[in-house]
Amino acid sequence: MTERRESMKDNYIVQAWLVILLSLCFGGVLAGVQIGLSQRIADNKLAETMGQIPQLVPGAEEAASREDEVAGQRVYRAYAGGEQIGWVIPCGGQGFADRIELLVGVDVAAEKITGLYVLEQKETPGLGNKIVEDGWRSQFAGKTTMRGLAVTKAGAKTDSEIDAVTGATISSESICQIVNQSLEKMRGGLIAAAGKE
Amino acid sequence: MTEATGGQPPEAAVAAAPGREGPSAGERFINGILPENPIYRQLLGMCPTLAVTNGMQAAMTMAGGVLFVLVCANILISLIRNLLKPHLRILVFTLSIATFVTVVDRFLAAYMYEMSKQLGPYVPLIIVNCLIISRCEVCASKQSVPTAIGDAVGQSLGFALGLASIAGVREILGSGSFFGIRIMPAIWPDWVIMVLPPGAFITLGLLMGLVNWYSARSKGSRG
Amino acid sequence: MEYIGTLLLIAISAALINNFVLYYFVGICPFLGVSRKVDMAFGMGCAVTFVISIAAFLSWVFTTFVLRPGAPLSTWIWQAVSPGSQTVVDLSILNYIVYIFVIASSVQFVEMYVRKFYPALYKSFGIFLPLITTNCAILFACLEIMKHVSGVAAAEMWGLDKALTLAIFGGVGFTIAIVLMAGIREELDHCDVPESLRGAGITLIVAGILAMAFMGFTGVDRNLAALLMD
Repeated sequence: MTERRESMKDNYIVQAWLVILLSLCFGGVLAGVQIGLSQRIADNKLAETMGQIPQLVPGAEEAASREDEVAGQRVYRAYAGGEQIGWVIPCGGQGFADRIELLVGVDVAAEKITGLYVLEQKETPGLGNKIVEDGWRSQFAGKTTMRGLAVTKAGAKTDSEIDAVTGATISSESICQIVNQSLEKMRGGLIAAAGKE
Repeated sequence: MTEATGGQPPEAAVAAAPGREGPSAGERFINGILPENPIYRQLLGMCPTLAVTNGMQAAMTMAGGVLFVLVCANILISLIRNLLKPHLRILVFTLSIATFVTVVDRFLAAYMYEMSKQLGPYVPLIIVNCLIISRCEVCASKQSVPTAIGDAVGQSLGFALGLASIAGVREILGSGSFFGIRIMPAIWPDWVIMVLPPGAFITLGLLMGLVNWYSARSKGSRG
Repeated sequence: MEYIGTLLLIAISAALINNFVLYYFVGICPFLGVSRKVDMAFGMGCAVTFVISIAAFLSWVFTTFVLRPGAPLSTWIWQAVSPGSQTVVDLSILNYIVYIFVIASSVQFVEMYVRKFYPALYKSFGIFLPLITTNCAILFACLEIMKHVSGVAAAEMWGLDKALTLAIFGGVGFTIAIVLMAGIREELDHCDVPESLRGAGITLIVAGILAMAFMGFTGVDRNLAALLMD
C-alpha cells in the first residue's frame, strides 16, 4: 500500500520536474526568438509607414523623416534637403465594413493634400476594395484641406470634391470623413502652435 | 467534433503490420494524405480551413506553419513519451504547441510581414487546432520518433492538400487568380461571394459532399 | 451616452455583424458537432459564453498588468531588480502560452462548478465540456482583446468594460449561431438529404446561407454610431 503511494508520489515529482525543465527550455527558446527577431519586427512595422513617405509627399527623403506629435496626434515630418516640405498623418475611422487606417500626406502649411495611402481596410472585395487602387487614390493629390472634402458621383469639378468609387459610395465617404476630421485637428494644432510662438 | 459522418473509422484505413505497435512510419505517412485526411475524413482544423483559404498564398503559408509546429511537437513528444503519464500529458502537449506556434508567429512577423498581417489571429489559433493535439495523443505519445515524423509530415501534407483544394476553388472563382496571378479571362465576373465567409462554408460543404460521394462510389464498385 | 454607445457598438459588432462563427470562423468544431438538438446547442452556447467571460477577464488582467510592453507590474519588478534601468519590459512573447493556460484553467473551474451544482447537466455534456478548451472562439476573444491592449497608445487602450463586452457578446453571437443551426438541423432530419452530403456537408452549406443572411447586418454599426454619437 505504502509502496504504491510512494511510487505515485515519485511519479508526481518526476512529472513536476519534467514540466519545470520543459518550461525552462521553452523560456530560453522564446527569449532567444524575442531577442533575435523583435528588432526586425519593429523595423517592419515602421517601414510600413515610413516607406510610404516618399510617395505621399513627393520629393521627401524617407531616411530624414521624423516622428512628432501635433494636437495629441502622432505625425511624421517629411524633409527634403534639410528643409521640411510636408507632413504625413496616420489616421483611421469606421469604414463601411470595418475600420480603415490611412496615411495622408499634406504640404508644410497643411493646406493642400499631397497623397493618400490605405494601410488597412476590410471593405467589400471588388467594390469598396477599390479605394486602395492607385488610380482612385491619386485624385486626392492637389485637393485643398480648407473646406473639407465631399464625395460626388457626378464627376469632381472643384478642388474639394472627390469622385466616389462606383458602387461604393459609403466607403468613399468614410475616407473623406476620416481625412476631414484628421486634417481639422491637424490645422487646429498647427495654428495653436504658431499662436504660441 | 469526432462525428466523422460519411468517413471511415481511421484505424481501418491501412491495417498495421502484425507484430508491430501500430502503423509504421511509411504507413502513417500514406494514411495522413488521403485515407485519414485531417479535413475531409477527420473533420479537424476547420477554423483555418475556412478562414485562410481565400487565396492560395495564405493557405500555403498556413500549411507551412502547421507543418513546422506538427513536426516539432511530434518529435518532442515522441522523445519524452516514456516520461509522460496521464495526468500532465495534456499540459505538456499544450505548453509545447504554444511555444512552437509563438516561434512560427514571430518568424512570420519578421520575415513575411504582409502575410503575417493577412493571416492575423489565425496563426496563434494553430494552438487550439485539434489536429495537432490529436496527432500528439494518437501517435507521438505512443510511437518512436521516425514514426512520429512520418505521421506529422503525412498529416500536414493531407492538410495542405485539403487547404489547396478549397483555396484553389475560392481564389479561381472569386478573384480569377491563382497564387496572385490572374488566370481567368477578363470577361470572367469575379464571384466575390467566394472570397467572403459564405463562399468558404458552401465550398467546403460541396467539396466534402464530392469526396464522400467519390469514396462511396469506389467502395461500392469494389465490393 | 457616448460611453453606452461605444459599448453597444462593440456588443452588436461582436454578436451580429462580425459574428464569431459566421464571419470569423472560430468555434466551428462544436458548431458542426453539437448543433443537432436545440437544447444541447443552447447549453453548449451558455457554457462557452461563461468560459469566454472568465477567460477574457483573466487574460485582460494578465495582458494589461504583466505582459504588454511597459506593463506596470513587470516594470515595477524590473525596477526593483535593476533600479534606474531605461529598458521597456516587454513580456508579450509569452502571450499565447499565458492565454492557453488561462483558458484551460477557466474550463477546469467551470467544469468543477457545473459538476457540483448541476450534476445532471454535467452528465449530459459528457466529453464536450473539457473540449471547450480547444474551442477557437475563446482563444480568439483573448487575441482580439490583446490586439486592443498590447502595443497600443494609452488613450486607445481598451479597459475591462470593453474587453468583457466583446467577450460576452461574442459568446452570445456564438450561441445565436449554434442555436439557429440546431433548429435548422432538427428540421433537416425530416428532409431527404443526398447521401454524400449528410452530416457535415449539408451543415456547412446551411452555415453558408446563414452567413449570407448575417452579411445583411454590415453597416448597421456605422449608422448606429452616427445616431448615438451625434
